[in-house]
Amino acid sequence: MAQAYSRRRFRLSPSLANRLTIGFAIAFAVLTGLAVIGVARFLQQRQDYENATARSYQREIEARNRLAEGERPVAARATVVSQQRQRQELRDEIAGETRDTALLVGAGLIAGLTGAALLFTGLISSMRRPLEDLVDASGRLAGGDLDARVTVGGLSETATLGSAFNEMAEELQRRAGERDQLDRMKDEFVLTASHELRSPLTSVQGFAELLLLERERLSPRQAETVEVILDNTRHLVRLLNDLLDLARSDAGRLTIRPEPTAAASLIEDAVRTMRAQFDARDQRLAVELETDLPWVDADRDRIRQVLVNLLTNANEYCPPGAHVTVKARNADAEVEIDVTDDGPGIPEQQLEHIFERFTRGDAGETQRVGGTGLGLAISKSLVELHGGTIAAESLPDRGSTFHVRLPATAAPDRTPVS
Amino acid sequence: MARILIADDSETILLLMRTRLEMEGHEVHTAADGEDVVETVQSDPAGHDLLLLDAMMPRRSGIDALRTLREQGVETPALIVSAHADSRDAKEDESDLAIDGYIPKPIDFDALFAKIAELTR
Repeated sequence: MAQAYSRRRFRLSPSLANRLTIGFAIAFAVLTGLAVIGVARFLQQRQDYENATARSYQREIEARNRLAEGERPVAARATVVSQQRQRQELRDEIAGETRDTALLVGAGLIAGLTGAALLFTGLISSMRRPLEDLVDASGRLAGGDLDARVTVGGLSETATLGSAFNEMAEELQRRAGERDQLDRMKDEFVLTASHELRSPLTSVQGFAELLLLERERLSPRQAETVEVILDNTRHLVRLLNDLLDLARSDAGRLTIRPEPTAAASLIEDAVRTMRAQFDARDQRLAVELETDLPWVDADRDRIRQVLVNLLTNANEYCPPGAHVTVKARNADAEVEIDVTDDGPGIPEQQLEHIFERFTRGDAGETQRVGGTGLGLAISKSLVELHGGTIAAESLPDRGSTFHVRLPATAAPDRTPVS
Repeated sequence: MARILIADDSETILLLMRTRLEMEGHEVHTAADGEDVVETVQSDPAGHDLLLLDAMMPRRSGIDALRTLREQGVETPALIVSAHADSRDAKEDESDLAIDGYIPKPIDFDALFAKIAELTR
């Protein structure tokens, strides 16, 4: 079913962290610029220092030469000493400049790196918590917990993501609620409809039966007509009961009242119910039971319903002359009941869907067979309510086998339930 | 043969039940709802061998009528006819009404006759 969806738009606004990052980049650029200027200035000072030192040596050498030539020794000696002192001053000065520059650049570098480290650590940790929350909530939502929500907070990016997630979860929950309510209305409708249809059906079936009680006063054609009415009424009742069971099953209200029952008596019960139908179609119905079959915790009426359903299918889908066998045996802690026929079999592509509702034999068969297509779906629900399993296997033209397995239970000590 | 009071809000079903029961030789009285049932039984408390009441009727349900009668000490056997398919045995709150059986709709008359024979022996 196509559905129109509206689209919610979420806007990602810049967060404080976003602005901090930009601010940090600018600060870093300014710092770098200052450092470059500082270093350049230092290199210039160094150059000046070397030039000044070289000039001072030059002057000292000239003074020493004059001294060697014996010219005015006092003045030349004074020049040598003053040049040496001047160089000492220059050395001290450049050492101070070197220390200051190194300190400045080093401090800037450390401040920058520390700032970057703090910024990134803060950024990562402030995103990590909300993201972990989101991962956790997504996991719960995916697992079907529609109450899963995240706490919206932190950076505006994760906060936006968080509210987007919460809105999505809210919408999912709302839709799930609507669907549940529709399901409940459907179940109620089926229950009410089935109830309301029962009264008129009672009249139709009752009066048709009444007519047949006076069969001798009806013409053969009239009698046949009434029988058709009766057949169809019974079919309607069966359909109604099946729909009701299915609605109950969907609503989780299909219940069983199990009590310890001998497996053998369940099978004999069903076979007794169906014997006449097999005779009517000239089919052979054989029963092979192991001698020491266990007891099962079974709702007698419901398990009979399952077995009668399997036998009815065999009876209606197999041609006259077919052989149908009901076998039962111990299998571990279970009893396995097999209903086998040598009829036309079930095509492979139908076999996969055989326990789904409204799956039926192909159209040619459907014309003749009076089923509702619900029997096996209900049988499966009923067997599973008993903690058992039901399975089908089939070979085209060779026949089909349905396996029902029910957990065995201890036989009651003294008074067997009758 | 038994004197039976039947109650159903559908005249068609009353006609059907009356016809089948009379064909079996029973004496049949009818009531259209639970109120009618209570009045009829009160006017002649020993006049019936069996009550055959529809569970759901307007004005007053069969269950409700039976509750009133049981409180007044009426001990006539009673069968409840129910359109609920799942009426195999008593609901919890009906366990004190001494209901002798539930008859699902559509009615299986052979089973009903057997039940009547058993209750009115």
